Amino acid sequence: MSSPVSNNPFIFSHEIDSQCITDLYGDDFAYVEEVFGTVLKEYGMLTDDINSAYTSADISALKAAIHKMKPIFGFVGLKTIQQYCQQFENKCQSATSLDLLAHDYKQLTDKLIVSRTLLEEEKKKLELFNGHRP
Amino acid sequence: MNLTCIIVEDLQVAANYLVKCCEKSGQVEVKGHFMNVPQALTFLNENSVDLIFLDVEMPGANGFELLDQIAFSPKVILTTSKKEYAYNAFQYNVSDYLMKPFTYQRFLEALQKIQPSRETISAQNGSDHIYIKADGKLIRLNNDSILYIESMGDYVKFVTSDNKKYITHNTIKNLEEKVSKHHFLKVHRSYIVNLHKIDDMRENILFIKGNEIPVSKANKADVFRRLNII
Repeated sequence: MSSPVSNNPFIFSHEIDSQCITDLYGDDFAYVEEVFGTVLKEYGMLTDDINSAYTSADISALKAAIHKMKPIFGFVGLKTIQQYCQQFENKCQSATSLDLLAHDYKQLTDKLIVSRTLLEEEKKKLELFNGHRP
Repeated sequence: MNLTCIIVEDLQVAANYLVKCCEKSGQVEVKGHFMNVPQALTFLNENSVDLIFLDVEMPGANGFELLDQIAFSPKVILTTSKKEYAYNAFQYNVSDYLMKPFTYQRFLEALQKIQPSRETISAQNGSDHIYIKADGKLIRLNNDSILYIESMGDYVKFVTSDNKKYITHNTIKNLEEKVSKHHFLKVHRSYIVNLHKIDDMRENILFIKGNEIPVSKANKADVFRRLNII
């Protein structure tokens, strides 16, 4: 983590809030790559927890699983999906049955799949940028 | 490094980031990272730290349950994504809470809130009382009321001048660093005594209000040094 710099030499995809990344990690792109790698490693387990809670119709567990996953998007500049997770968590809080969450859940899982692909692509770009093999 | 800490956090990326912030600051030594409360509790039963970076919502038990179960009172910085814990944070004397993800600058601001508190802890070592956790509550014990502290394995027993006994989860080793150096002295691996309460000493035994406290060979010289022998 270096001090934040204004001239960011790495161009992030437009879905990623590059200012957020700069605020957190400065120009330490080796560490940014590490963060993306860590997030991708955790991603599968976190989405499995969400799917498992939904499949077992456990709204409380679903809320907890979303709550746990939510911050990781902040670490990689995906604020939109982070906010969506927060909205979904709020809906879990008030939902009395799983049916009420079905539509939003479908949207959420779609967003999670898209985000994962985006993170994987961004990680590859960072590897190239940092001089690693893809 | 002038602070020791542990990180209790079930999100790896958040824990790694905290470690990075601690290392960069040069002010905090990370003694361990634990993914859940039981793991952290096992560590804290044997070790003490100045500071805990504590996530609240974790599988099994939440962060506040950890604070309920430890026998000493480290500074706490919550790392959470909810503001709803503010009331509990107040109750547990939490120094600050960091909303994940936070910037390094915000991390430093939280650390700055800890530093004055550490001075307070030092001042408390010279103050006239301590607080212990016993019977599910915090109990104030005036230094003058404590006769001695006795080890009971993973617990210690505080014996007071009104013949009350308070048992709390702690170790003599940990307490030796926490209690007032002016009032108390470790005289044996299992005993800390109030120097102001010693009635007499015969051979390797201290007498305090009818209680016999052994003095170890290793600590005997310290005892003689601290007693006001003329």
